[in-house]
Amino acid sequence: MAEIINVNRISKNYERKIALSSLSFTVEKGELVALIGPSGAGKTTLLNMLGAIFPPDQGEIVISGKQIAEMTDQKKRAKKIGMIRQQFDLVGELPVIHNVLAGRLSDWGVMKSLVSLLIPQDKDYATAALDRVGLKDKLYERTSKLSGGEQQRVALARLLVQSPEIVLADEPVASLDPARAEDVLELLVNIASEEKQTLIASLHSVEYARKYFDRLIALKNGELFFDLPSSSVSDDHIKRLYSLKEHS
Amino acid sequence: MERNWMSFELHKRKILSLILGLAFAASLFSVEWNSELIHNGGLTTAKQIGLAFFTPDLSGEILILALESSWTTLSYAAAGMSLALIIAFFFGVAASGVMVSGEKNKRLIKPFFRSQLGFMRAIHELVWAWLFVASIGLSPFAAIFALAIPYGGILGRIFADMLEDVPQEPIRALEAAGASKLQALWYGYLPMVRASITSYAMYRFECAVRSSAIMSFVGIGGLGYQIQLSLDDLHYDEVWTFVFFLIILVILIDAWSNQLRKRLIQ
Repeated sequence: MAEIINVNRISKNYERKIALSSLSFTVEKGELVALIGPSGAGKTTLLNMLGAIFPPDQGEIVISGKQIAEMTDQKKRAKKIGMIRQQFDLVGELPVIHNVLAGRLSDWGVMKSLVSLLIPQDKDYATAALDRVGLKDKLYERTSKLSGGEQQRVALARLLVQSPEIVLADEPVASLDPARAEDVLELLVNIASEEKQTLIASLHSVEYARKYFDRLIALKNGELFFDLPSSSVSDDHIKRLYSLKEHS
Repeated sequence: MERNWMSFELHKRKILSLILGLAFAASLFSVEWNSELIHNGGLTTAKQIGLAFFTPDLSGEILILALESSWTTLSYAAAGMSLALIIAFFFGVAASGVMVSGEKNKRLIKPFFRSQLGFMRAIHELVWAWLFVASIGLSPFAAIFALAIPYGGILGRIFADMLEDVPQEPIRALEAAGASKLQALWYGYLPMVRASITSYAMYRFECAVRSSAIMSFVGIGGLGYQIQLSLDDLHYDEVWTFVFFLIILVILIDAWSNQLRKRLIQ
């Protein structure tokens, strides 16, 4: 398998606080990686830098052999990298179909995207994606009327339509109850493996991380705590990761 | 030290209240409390106007005149508002700074358009009406432009504020999905402000009807003009007929606005 992400000694500081210090790792194409660690460990910071939301203070991120800092074309970048977060990512006032079709905006010109708000374009993409996440009947429903779990499924459908090579998920199930959380997570992982996408997701729940992901990267205080295949992560590792005493 | 300063602040307010109270009391002395305070016939006239409220002139001729002038007033207001909405859309989007990237560009663009909106609404619609009547004469366009400019300024400013206050998560998600600034406007900003901007524009339309009615002060026709004519002729019963028509107009627009809001919010 080919290397798709190469993170090389990146650091990031907020004011005086160190968010990430000299972090390095590589991810191969098609890997399913979970980021775990206590709150404030730097998971979100890392994902935001991988998604080119902001650059690292030091170090470099290389995606498919290209410096992320040079991937300035938003449309091309959207084909490479897609993001999903805790809810709030959707426009609640729009019908579901437009939120899903927003995944096509990188391919559409201004006119086509405007026309689509009146007469939905490339509708097949939306119906196929919504069918896949089990919301086929909600095509024209107002998005804000859907439950939290359903909204996350709509966000997944958008991601399906966008079809990036790398999916970055920042606490994708944080605000859902356990049953729905597992549902959405399973869907996310299944889609990623079927579409041969590379998935990096930050998670609160170690249990889910071990159950659904091949590899766990643990961060603590902005540093790499361990980076292991999920089968070789022991309870002792986890206990030490979440213990309050530093460097125990 | 801190405490002292606090109590001084407190006292400062009391002292100010005392000065204002005294000023008011002193001003009462300069009023001449004799019969000239309200002019002689005033009370009788007020009584006549009050009584006429119960006996509005409902003759066919007046009703048709009222209907016609209501139509004039409404059409000026509608045309003025339509123009105002166009002004508000373009200036509002520009003044909100959502279409430019980079803090530096925003700092340049926003004050530029915001000050233009400020200029439009700093001048009252009646003053604009004077200016337009002076330049293009007593044509309907004078009324329409006089309404469109200050209302465009007001709506544009509110529109810009609303766009700036939109939650950022959905916008960033759209941009991450590859949306350009213009696409983010269609798919993010505009749907999110649609309900509030519609209800505010409807409220402003109501205000525009009232403003349109008083365009008569500069000689432009409509309900206000008829009210003024009837007042001059001392036909208070006719005055009330026209006033009732004005009230009906406002109530109708309010009802329409409620309908729209209900549809948009659900």
